[in-house]
Amino acid sequence: MNLLILVFIFVFSFSCFFFGKSQIKKIAAVNNFKTKALPHFYGFYLSLWCALPAILIVFLWTVFEPFIVKYLIISGLEQSSLADIDHDRLNLVYQKIKALYFGTYSGAASEQIQLGAKQYGSFLAMAQNAKIVLVFTAVIGFTLVAYKKITNNTHAREGVESIFKVVLILCSVVAVLTTAGIIFSLLIESIKFFSQINFFDFLFGLDWSPQKAFVRDTSIVLTASEKQELSNAFGAVPLFAGTGFIALIAMSVAVPIGLFSAIYLAEYAGSNLRKFGKPVIEVLAGIPTVVYGFFAALTVGPFIKSIGDTLGLDVSSESALAAGLVMGVMIIPFVSSLSDDVINAVPQSLREGSYALGATKSETIKQVVLPAALPGIIGSILLAVSRAIGETMIVVMAAGLAANLTINPLDSTTTITTQIVMILVGDQEFTSAKTQAAFALGLTLFVVTLILNFIALSVVNKYREKYD
Amino acid sequence: MDTKIKIKSTNLNVFYGEKQALFDINLDINQNEVTALIGPSGCGKSTFIRCINRMNDVIDICKIQGEIEMDGKNIYAPNTDVVSLREKVGMVFQKPNPFPKSIYDNVCYGPKIHGIAETKDDLDQIVENSLKKAALWNEVKDRLQEPGTSLSGGQQQRLCIARAISVNPEVILMDEPCSALDPIATAKIEELIDELKTTFTIIIVTHSMSQAVRVSQKTGFFHLGKLIEVGTTEKIFKNPTNNMTQDYITGRFG
Ligand SMILES: Nc1ncnc2c1ncn2[C@@H]1O[C@H](COP(=O)(O)OP(=O)(O)O)[C@@H](O)[C@H]1O
Ligand SMILES: [Mg+2]
Repeated sequence: MNLLILVFIFVFSFSCFFFGKSQIKKIAAVNNFKTKALPHFYGFYLSLWCALPAILIVFLWTVFEPFIVKYLIISGLEQSSLADIDHDRLNLVYQKIKALYFGTYSGAASEQIQLGAKQYGSFLAMAQNAKIVLVFTAVIGFTLVAYKKITNNTHAREGVESIFKVVLILCSVVAVLTTAGIIFSLLIESIKFFSQINFFDFLFGLDWSPQKAFVRDTSIVLTASEKQELSNAFGAVPLFAGTGFIALIAMSVAVPIGLFSAIYLAEYAGSNLRKFGKPVIEVLAGIPTVVYGFFAALTVGPFIKSIGDTLGLDVSSESALAAGLVMGVMIIPFVSSLSDDVINAVPQSLREGSYALGATKSETIKQVVLPAALPGIIGSILLAVSRAIGETMIVVMAAGLAANLTINPLDSTTTITTQIVMILVGDQEFTSAKTQAAFALGLTLFVVTLILNFIALSVVNKYREKYD
Repeated sequence: MDTKIKIKSTNLNVFYGEKQALFDINLDINQNEVTALIGPSGCGKSTFIRCINRMNDVIDICKIQGEIEMDGKNIYAPNTDVVSLREKVGMVFQKPNPFPKSIYDNVCYGPKIHGIAETKDDLDQIVENSLKKAALWNEVKDRLQEPGTSLSGGQQQRLCIARAISVNPEVILMDEPCSALDPIATAKIEELIDELKTTFTIIIVTHSMSQAVRVSQKTGFFHLGKLIEVGTTEKIFKNPTNNMTQDYITGRFG
């Protein structure tokens, strides 16, 4: 039904465009004056006024209709014999009514529910009719008002411009609100978590074993010692350490390789090689992380283990080293591509100034080009770090799940992202501390990457200002 | 005062890929004189002076035929050491291009690279002398550690001159050194050039006729890659033999 209404609105507003356009020409010709804007602005003006309010009405109506119908039904129920039952029961009855109406109710329905279903149907029909009437009125009303305006030759151009502006603003508001909503829900759940678990126990505790919290029924009041025990199960330090450690391994692969290849491409490679080489490296960034993940888990991990075994070392088959190495490869293009850009942005005149003093190419790169590009390079490295910290798939597949607090790269470790995945796969109890821990971890991750990105971008921007 | 020829270019032809930028340039540059190169944009002035310190080596497509002799030695001979050539031939560019380093480090960059100074005191001395010769010392002596880019345009250009003379070159090439500067800064640099010629041989590219008259002793007029006329500045500007030169200096084209 909505679709039909929308089609109607579009067809009508489309014809309004041509109507408005031809109408203003006619009026201008008859009354012998010059229009204030090009004719198609009048067409736009008319068709926008015809379509937008009506679409808005359809949208709002569709969103709010179920709530209103529900309210009507429930208040009807309340007034009838069921006045004394509690809210949850009422809800249940409402669901039954709805199910019966849509024919998904199984079993015998009580008389009351049948009655309700009939009522529900009539409410829906009423709402439908009301919606159609309202939309028609809006379309015709607004079109008439707009038409009246254009025949007076008012400012169609300004009108159209400001309508466009409003539409654009609305879209950006949606984007901003969504982000804010996500942050908000992260915060709310984290606050719930921290109402059960001490903030400092979370941040500085050395033991991560959330499964301890899983079996508890949250409705039972805990004794003080139980509470402490629960709090102790959520020490996130092993996760922070594991995350940092794997990121460190990854960066020690990605920074030298990425940076040096960027220097080679920007300074030494001929233009043909450069045209070819840069996209090839960037392909690395296009490989899905899950592919890196099984590469790490099935190839690199066992390979490291077999080397370790021949050397007589005790290597776990899921090791921080395997995950870190593969993650490093994944991150190379982030470092190299951005660094390459900033190195290229260093003005040629600086290089020439250095050559003119008799400096060689490598001296020039070391002492002039890299220092000039340094802020940008640091920015690119920070972005890569934030990427490494947030990376999930590789570590889930290759780093292991046990929260060992270790600095042995051959041991298995776990990361923040891995634990979030572990917590949230399978059936969830949303009030349990274990589930909420995922939000607390997510919030931590979010804050850290936000800070990193912020620093990185401001460093890069500061650098841009200098040379543009 | 008898003049000695410092640089001598013979039948110099330069190509950028297929395109020929300079045609049979024969030009002598006298020692301890200022030689001005004038001519409309794109006529090859920059190309010519960039041949003198072999800056065109950096450009892949640039091919050079003919000879440029400095003190009687061909700088395009296969055994030429480009690093020491550029130590002897300094260059100042059109746009001031101080390195993103402190004022001090900008000036001692060259001496460090060539191992000229042994000790920190030597370096300090070189920096001070160079900045003094570039008439910048008094303005920056209290802020040597500030970034070179924090100076004004004219100061930056004098910093670049100080940087060029820090390695004690014999020749200084200047490619439109004042085109990005205001008149006051320009006047300062012109004054400076006049002093520098007692120590160095200077070649300056300029778009300003009056500047050429003020600072140079010898002038060469380039047009479409050819050296049309060369002679003492007085002669070129007072009574040029070539009509094109006449037209150019009187502002009829270019
Ligand atoms: N890097 C280059 N690649 C190709 N052509 C160039 C290059 N530099 C200069 N040219 C060409 O050589 C000619 C002379 O340029 P240039 O020496 O810069 O002139 P001027 O300094 O007198 O304005 C111009 O036609 C220019 O297009
Ligand atoms: Mg030029």
